[in-house]
Amino acid sequence: MTLPPLPRPRTLVHPGPARPVRIEHLHAESGRHARLALAPGRTLHDALVEPLLALGMPCASLTILGGRLERLWYCVAEPDPSGARVAMYGPARDAGAATLIFGNATLGRGPHGRPMVHCHATFVRADGEVRGGHVVVDRSIAAEPLPALVTSLDGFELRIAVDEETRMPLMRPFAPARRRGAPREAAHAV
Amino acid sequence: MPSKRPQAALPLPPEGIESPGGAGSTRGIRLVESGAMGRVAYARIAPNEDLVQGIEKLCVAEGFRHAFVRGALGSLVDACLATADGGCRAIAGPAIEVVSLAGEVRPQPDGSLRAALTGVVADTDGRVHGGPFVAGANPVCVTFEVTLEEWLPATS
Repeated sequence: MTLPPLPRPRTLVHPGPARPVRIEHLHAESGRHARLALAPGRTLHDALVEPLLALGMPCASLTILGGRLERLWYCVAEPDPSGARVAMYGPARDAGAATLIFGNATLGRGPHGRPMVHCHATFVRADGEVRGGHVVVDRSIAAEPLPALVTSLDGFELRIAVDEETRMPLMRPFAPARRRGAPREAAHAV
Repeated sequence: MPSKRPQAALPLPPEGIESPGGAGSTRGIRLVESGAMGRVAYARIAPNEDLVQGIEKLCVAEGFRHAFVRGALGSLVDACLATADGGCRAIAGPAIEVVSLAGEVRPQPDGSLRAALTGVVADTDGRVHGGPFVAGANPVCVTFEVTLEEWLPATS
């Protein structure tokens, strides 16, 4: 039997210079875990950041297991009509009182060390339609405690900065500086 | 470098637990594998790298022989999901967001590593599509963030 051919993957060209390292990675010797109940009545950003900073976990990867939200806002990625980027987030969409099915989030640091969360999830909108996208965590509010499993990323940092190649803000891993003022080591390259 | 972390929180049963083999398809496959979690790796995969092979390359670079995907989010140029009849379904971007992902990496009999990943993607209108990701046909669009936990099977 002959299988149909796979679609030919497209190689997109982004507007900025491509960094030669295509997979930047770091590891911790062991995982440190926590189980959170994300507090209802607060934004997902605050419900996630506050307990993790209190636990000494400024960089972490989370699985959000599901639950009801009072309000969920999300974006999807669309081609950038201006052509300045290959793709960018469209306007925020209101999913209403949605039910989360499954989500993943990463906690890192933005400019000036401010905690930042990147979250994608699958959910059921208030109208019953299943949708997915980038969750707007500072506008979305849980209606009940949302269970989440946290893996702390110890010994290195995740930082969000605008990427030259894609012109989009994104998270990358950095090894810690050995001393104050020393240049940060780049993550290992593949 | 393999992790120095002590292995095997639980001892394996004397001969493992194997399927009775009635259905044939699982004969000889170990149904229970005891072990322990080891190192935790985080990676940012850049545009045009394949999602499935990118995760395999990450394991090669980190020296992981077995791993579970723990956190994963990012975007694909277009998505290609396998269908039950052996074909695949293409979802056109850019960009397609990966909104749920589960999977593992295991060594093959020839020593190569293979990632098996299933998940849900959202298209440019937020509609969702699910299935196994086809290796070589899911190039990253802007970025892909992945956290892997190394799995250390107990040596019997």
